[in-house]
Amino acid sequence: MRRGIGVLVTVVVLSLLAGLGANAAQARPRVAFIYVGPIGDAGWTFQHDQARRHLAATLNADTRYVESVPETAEVARVMEQFIRQGYTTIFATAFGYQNFGLEVARRHPQARIIGIGPAIGLAPNVKTIYGRIWEGRYLTGIVAGRMTRTNTIGFVAAHPITTVVAGVNAFALGVWSVNPNARIRVVWTRTWYDPPKEKAAAKALLDAGADVVAQHQDTPSALQAAAEAGKMGVGSESNMQRFAPGAYLTGTIWDWREVDAAIVRGIMAGQFTSEDYYGGLADKMVTLGPMHARVPADTVRLVEQRRDEIARGTFQIFRGPLADQSGRERLPAGKTMTLKEILAFDWLLRGIEGQAPTSR
Amino acid sequence: MRPPLVELRGIVKAFPGVVANAGVDLTIAPGEVLALLGENGAGKSTLMQVLAGLYRPDAGTILIDGAPADLRSPGDAIARGIGMVHQHFRLVESFTVTENVLLGQGERRFLLRPAADHARVARIAGAHGLTVEPRAVVRQLSVGERQRVEILKMLYRDARVLVLDEPTAVLTPQEVAPLFAAIRRIAGQGRAVVFISHKLDEVLAIADRIVVLRAGRVAGEAQPAETTPRALARLMVGHDVDRPPRPVAAPGAIVLELRGVDATGEGGRRALHAVSLAVRAGEIVGVAGVAGNGQRELAEVVAGLRPPEAGEICLDGVGIGHLDSRARWRLGIAYVPEDRLAEGLIAPFPLAENAVLRDYARPPVGRGPLFDRAAARARAAAIVERFQVRAPHVDTPVRHLSGGNQQRLLVGRETWRRPRVLVAMHPTRGLDVDATASVHRLLLSLRAEGVAVLLLSESLDELFALADRIAVLHRGRVAGERPTAAATREEIGLLMAGAVP
Amino acid sequence: MSTGAAAPPLARPARAEPPAWVEAVGVRAGSIVAAFAVGAVFLAATGHDPAHAYREMAVGAFGSSFAVEQTLVKAIPLALAGLGVALAFTMGLWNVGAEGQLAVGALAASWLALSAGGLPAAVVLPGLTLLGALGGAAWALVPAALRAYAGVNEIISTLMLNYVALLWVDYLVFGAWADPTAFSFPYSRRFPEAAHLPRLYGDVHAGALAALVAAAGLALLLGRTRWGYEIRTIGASQAAARYAGIPVRRRILLVMATSGALAGLAGAGEVSGVIHRIQQGLSPGYGFTAIIVAWVAQLRPWAVVLVAVLFAALLNGGFVLQTAGVPAAIAYMLQAMILTFVLAGEYLLRRLRRRRAVAAARALAPP
Repeated sequence: MRRGIGVLVTVVVLSLLAGLGANAAQARPRVAFIYVGPIGDAGWTFQHDQARRHLAATLNADTRYVESVPETAEVARVMEQFIRQGYTTIFATAFGYQNFGLEVARRHPQARIIGIGPAIGLAPNVKTIYGRIWEGRYLTGIVAGRMTRTNTIGFVAAHPITTVVAGVNAFALGVWSVNPNARIRVVWTRTWYDPPKEKAAAKALLDAGADVVAQHQDTPSALQAAAEAGKMGVGSESNMQRFAPGAYLTGTIWDWREVDAAIVRGIMAGQFTSEDYYGGLADKMVTLGPMHARVPADTVRLVEQRRDEIARGTFQIFRGPLADQSGRERLPAGKTMTLKEILAFDWLLRGIEGQAPTSR
Repeated sequence: MRPPLVELRGIVKAFPGVVANAGVDLTIAPGEVLALLGENGAGKSTLMQVLAGLYRPDAGTILIDGAPADLRSPGDAIARGIGMVHQHFRLVESFTVTENVLLGQGERRFLLRPAADHARVARIAGAHGLTVEPRAVVRQLSVGERQRVEILKMLYRDARVLVLDEPTAVLTPQEVAPLFAAIRRIAGQGRAVVFISHKLDEVLAIADRIVVLRAGRVAGEAQPAETTPRALARLMVGHDVDRPPRPVAAPGAIVLELRGVDATGEGGRRALHAVSLAVRAGEIVGVAGVAGNGQRELAEVVAGLRPPEAGEICLDGVGIGHLDSRARWRLGIAYVPEDRLAEGLIAPFPLAENAVLRDYARPPVGRGPLFDRAAARARAAAIVERFQVRAPHVDTPVRHLSGGNQQRLLVGRETWRRPRVLVAMHPTRGLDVDATASVHRLLLSLRAEGVAVLLLSESLDELFALADRIAVLHRGRVAGERPTAAATREEIGLLMAGAVP
Repeated sequence: MSTGAAAPPLARPARAEPPAWVEAVGVRAGSIVAAFAVGAVFLAATGHDPAHAYREMAVGAFGSSFAVEQTLVKAIPLALAGLGVALAFTMGLWNVGAEGQLAVGALAASWLALSAGGLPAAVVLPGLTLLGALGGAAWALVPAALRAYAGVNEIISTLMLNYVALLWVDYLVFGAWADPTAFSFPYSRRFPEAAHLPRLYGDVHAGALAALVAAAGLALLLGRTRWGYEIRTIGASQAAARYAGIPVRRRILLVMATSGALAGLAGAGEVSGVIHRIQQGLSPGYGFTAIIVAWVAQLRPWAVVLVAVLFAALLNGGFVLQTAGVPAAIAYMLQAMILTFVLAGEYLLRRLRRRRAVAAARALAPP
């Protein structure tokens, strides 16, 4: 047994030495991804992994990833480990990683850390990326508003954070733009990734009379619940059509491939911009999934028209007058919301049924 | 008499330290109610468990219908027509009566037919006068009803010999009559019923034939019509034997006195009724009784582990009923409990820590908030020395010691400070002959030193050998009290059985 | 083997028993080596290089000063909560609520840190340490009182209170304590510098000292004090404790409060020593892992500290394995396998010890 310990110690020591010499010349870009959920979530993390595969395929990048890393000090450890292995370009694909990423970035100036925005702070070697997901949600709202028969639409929302709230509000405006009488009910699951809980929330909405269920969650569970009930759903994060082909009306899709590729190409060329980058319909960071065959052609045309207007900047989603659930006017007539104001959304529009996002 | 259904020949069954059956011959005839009578530990239950396939005999033969039978399991026994209802029921509480009766029947059907099954169970119950609702869930049934379910289980399996192990022990007096009626009816169908008991009146009321066991052997046989309670008691407890020489002591003043003490036992039932008892300095008072008649409660009431509901407990004339066990220990009341390894000792702890269980809070072991391990070891070493405890080391866990050494350690600890009163419950249970003798010597030497000893024992031999007076507990009351010198076993046996001699 | 030349031939030659410590070290090392060996087969079968994976794991846990720091940082809450759990288990109290007690400790400490304003560190740090301990203790006293005075099973009550505590954290970090600059993401403002626990070595904060002091204190309490003796007695036999007149109810309150206080300290350490804010998911299940730590350490205080460090290494090594290209599922499987082998080794060791003790007792006492 003592010999066993000796062998173990030898292995550890040898491997230490080997580890020090591992940083050889690098021709291929080494890119690491840190995921908050499992790749199999079929949503948020899945889409980021698509981008990782894209980098490997198009740029011959040497990629690594770690799944299911909580938004705690854990992520700093993983980042340090990647940097030690020479993976100095790190996509940290959850908002909650930012605080820890900033500290790691300070310690390792040669590292490039790309976080998920909105940025809470930047450093010369830190960039955040995010998209105007609410632009896509507005379009899906048009489809939902046209397709509902019961005039009740449900929305399964993750956390009441500003970007999610903005998406719910935009969705509602999309619905009401074609169907002013539709009711919209929101349920907060307070989790990004919890398939059974998401499903239960969707069922509650279906029981309350909704015949279309939209969502902002990392998995297709809400959509699947709608399909099982013979109702319709709106996807989120990825193309979720394959999970419920008969029920999938359309949905928003995150597409990080080109954004990520551009950043990596820049780093390879020695360029890196520290910024809080926003994509959207214009740069196709946010796109729509395929339309259900039953969606009428005029609705499809309307959606395409709005999409082009939003991308060109000729159509503003959040135009006054807008009031909150209590009826208080938040945006006077004739005004439009700035990006900063949209990112500060902590109230739901008048007419949306469901708990206010904050209890402050 | 018809040819016997079952014949037991020379059954021997021994357990470590005790021979439960030392060559028993017994026949069981169809249609008879046979009573097996005997004291606790006489070997009645063991003998019937051998017959029911729970134990395999060390020697001897079981003949069923005249052919030797090798019963390896209760399943074997019931397949041969022998069913036993144990004192502790073996029912699934969340199942219905029918489900319990059918359980383990190896039904070949995949689908259950509850209605048909209920009807079948109801029919068998009705045929034997065992009123019970087949659809009822066992959890909701009374003890008497559960017993009927157990009997039904055996009848459903077509038992030809039904063994009932102390069936009346758990019943209220009102429930006894219907049970007896059912037993009669079952026997009337040509089945045999073996009725295990130590209650003379019941045995005389129900049995066709009575076999008395004593110390693992058949002590005698009797017909109810031709015998008397007195004769049966004599058979049960044996003849008076010569007492071992015991130093004469002159008891001093009353040290411990109980006056009209009531106490509640486990499950909230009243376990002691107006018990009055006195123990003098230098005197051993023995308490006899069939297990479960309030001995444990009596010991605990004195030791301070069970609050008295009424009455007075006095030490040297001062009331101590309100004090807890630690306070009573400090006043000099020591206690050797029934379950030495679960209560009196801490099995995984070393000798040293067991030796100070009573005194850890006082110097030299407890000093301020500290626990002085060296002092504990020293105390243990002193007890080991004085009481001849054989142990590898004072740091050895006591569970690794033999029973005798555990008991010497326990008694040594309890008597280390020369108590005023020692309560000892079954102090020699499970011990071998040598260990028993050493405990007896210890008790006698305490008596000589003027300690008041209350000795609760299920062994009449022990009580007659040690006690100056013997009190008998029956159903929580002191049924009688005799100076040992003037008492006979027969008399004590009758008191234990609830009969007034 | 050299026996005396005069040894009678009929005596069976006694098998040379190795000394007890060799057995202890040997079995433990053996079980770990066996785990790695079986793990290597799995890794190889799934197309991964075992040598590479193990090297990364070892390097990730101990291979650099950063790795050592991170392992120790992670070991601090595991050790503190593990000590608390071990204390309660020693008395036979199944406190599975360390996760919640940790959260309430973190809440109490955060309250002071967030409202301390310009108070100096000399006031804030002792204050939040104390509050963390008190918070955890208070949370543990609820099930303790229910158990002592109403006989409520503490397994259920402590488990359920975990969720209540975590929801309280959610409530505050989404609401009153939310960082106004964080787009409603569930975390608080960063604590002022005065509320940051000082660091001892790299990232290792002063909580490490607390863990060591707690281990020493607990070892002293259990082995050398009357309370410790009483606690162990109650844990070993309730009947014997009653017999000896030990005030069981009061000890339940004492032990649960201390157990909760230790978990609360772990929570205070996490918020003021590591994250410097309170946030949703501040503990990745430290309070639950602490239960395993306590068991593997067989409830012995110093062993809890050691096992906590090894566990932290194992947990950190798991993520490192993933950075080395090993899928999460296989990394978790390796962790689980190492744990299973270690537990099996401890079981074997206990059997061997018992055999030794029985043999010793037999040798002395007549049957």
